[in-house]
Amino acid sequence: MLKKTTLNQLSDLAFALMEKGTLVAPVRQNAGFQFREITDAKQVDLNFHNTVISPKSVFFPQTEDFVRYKTGRPVQEAEAVEPQGKPLILFGVRPCDVKSFEIMDIHFSGTGAVDPYWQARREAATIIGYAFDVGAPAESEEFYQTLGIGAADPEGSDIFMVRHGDDLLLKSITGRGEALLAGIGGLTGASADDEKYFDDTVAAGRDFKTRFTCVDAKAITKKLEDLFHHTDFWEKASNACLSCGVCTFVCPTCYCFDICDETLFKQGTRRRVWDACMFTDFTLEASGHNPRTKVYQRLRQKINHKYSYHVRKYGVISCVGCGRCTRYCPVNIDIFSIVEEAMKA
Amino acid sequence: MAVSFQQIEEKLKTEARRLLESGQVSLVLAWGEGYDENHPMPYVAKCPSDADGIVFNEYCTHNPARYLVRYPRGTKIAIAVKAADSRAVVQLIQEDKVKRHDLVILGIPVYGIKNPKTGELIDDRTTCGLYNPVLYDVLIAEEVHGQPVSSPYAVLAEYEAMDQEARFAFWKKELDRCIRCYACRKACPMCYCDPCFIDQNKPKWGEKSPDPAGNLMYHLTRFHHLAGRCIDCGECSRACPVDIPLYLFHKKVAKDCEEMFGQAAGMSIEDKPVLVNFRMEDSDKILE
Ligand code: SF4
Ligand code: SF4
Ligand code: SF4
Ligand code: SF4
Repeated sequence: MLKKTTLNQLSDLAFALMEKGTLVAPVRQNAGFQFREITDAKQVDLNFHNTVISPKSVFFPQTEDFVRYKTGRPVQEAEAVEPQGKPLILFGVRPCDVKSFEIMDIHFSGTGAVDPYWQARREAATIIGYAFDVGAPAESEEFYQTLGIGAADPEGSDIFMVRHGDDLLLKSITGRGEALLAGIGGLTGASADDEKYFDDTVAAGRDFKTRFTCVDAKAITKKLEDLFHHTDFWEKASNACLSCGVCTFVCPTCYCFDICDETLFKQGTRRRVWDACMFTDFTLEASGHNPRTKVYQRLRQKINHKYSYHVRKYGVISCVGCGRCTRYCPVNIDIFSIVEEAMKA
Repeated sequence: MAVSFQQIEEKLKTEARRLLESGQVSLVLAWGEGYDENHPMPYVAKCPSDADGIVFNEYCTHNPARYLVRYPRGTKIAIAVKAADSRAVVQLIQEDKVKRHDLVILGIPVYGIKNPKTGELIDDRTTCGLYNPVLYDVLIAEEVHGQPVSSPYAVLAEYEAMDQEARFAFWKKELDRCIRCYACRKACPMCYCDPCFIDQNKPKWGEKSPDPAGNLMYHLTRFHHLAGRCIDCGECSRACPVDIPLYLFHKKVAKDCEEMFGQAAGMSIEDKPVLVNFRMEDSDKILE
């Protein structure tokens, strides 16, 4: 089913979606766009290229409470925090980020060890994807096409949106998407021209060029394994790296976390908090030993995890080429340039 | 006279090559090619041929002094510095993190550096606004004179007009969006503590999860650890992925320090950091 509205009526659409569930959509903030739970339909803003932090934060928030307790009280009194499965509509997700959910599913449910918090939200979510503008050149940080992801791929979305001038075309991709789309008033039917425009955009998205040519994941995996002990290579690649948490925190496919007990007065919470392999204390062991004390070891881990270990273990690169890590790296380190250098080394 | 980035780049390459060839230094800290022209990155040249990789253009915002403490003491290092960067080197010498005689300072008088994220000029609003390095061994270009000079504290007018409550509300709002990625401290040339207080877990000074109270705790502590030491390079704010204007607090503290102790950070290697020095004539205002 293909429907249509105008960008002028975006807040009407948002309002209608808010009636169907918790709406999470891009919002302009003082520091660029972020996905936020919408409380006022007018906040939704599609004039964005991509958000600073990826939408993984919707299913896997930076802080997730597991257990609440009072210190000094018997453990039986502790309260488990139940996973939230309220209907959720995730609106305006770019195709590369939609793809990231599939990769993250491997870790949060696919291997048999199911994370109930991730799964509850994921199952309750309807994803409304949004094509990049295939008429404008890609930003120089992006390389999703290199990884086989089109700029307008509808796969993985329940509903997929394409902008056509001041119009917004919405097409249902799954049954869930169709049910939602059918239940929204105020949309107009689409013409045969609109159908064609939608299909053309999806096709154009497949050919849409981002940096670098296509890659062979297996060859990269092998090469990175061979390079593991080439300290010179890794030192050079990481000379500028600050070992901060920017690249992992903004990344849609980084999933490392720490579980901590945090207490304020006598109120304790056991919670999961994002962690980053680039932090010095990430690998600090209780004995005091730290197997990765050097910046190069940490950057090597980050790159090898995404492009080598992950491929070997799960058959897929754990990166969708969204370009966030490069865009927000304070010292302009570009992950894929390092992979390219590795291939040449 | 307009700044020629091209000439500066050539001179940097020549000096780097000369210093590496003669064996006077074992590495040169400067800037090199990034993923595109607008995004050069900090660079280390370790042999004469590496010198060709040095780049200098208007987007060379990074402060190479950040990397000095990464190398073992006694390593002979040549470092390319813009004005604020040179102040970081001076401050690190004052704090005995590096020795003056281990360094060859390549000073770059320059203006017109821009923030690649916003395209905005980096001037006295977000840095110290100086044009000429305060300490150098080799001057890479002619000193800059005749450019408008304004106080690095002028940008504080609006902030200082706020009362205490409004300031608290301002910081609460700004710091609420902090994601605790720690890029600010990692980009800072003066944040070299290992471990940083916020990473310690015995005792634990702050929680790991970003929440408003914890963020305030991290930042207020960091701000104060930099009192009298921040040299106003602005790197922390530029590193921040969510654009928190950290420079405002650092500038405010720097201004207070300067007023109380008559000394700005990183201006002379003869100075001692104000908070570790005691002089009879020091202001007592800090105790009020
Ligand atoms: S690559 Fe960039 S963002 Fe990532 S840890 Fe290093 S400096 Fe930080
Ligand atoms: S590694 Fe970088 S480009 Fe790849 S998914 Fe993560 S943030 Fe995006
Ligand atoms: S606190 Fe910020 S402005 Fe001050 S020295 Fe550190 S990075 Fe530079
Ligand atoms: S760089 Fe910004 S977001 Fe990261 S810890 Fe510092 S203030 Fe917070």
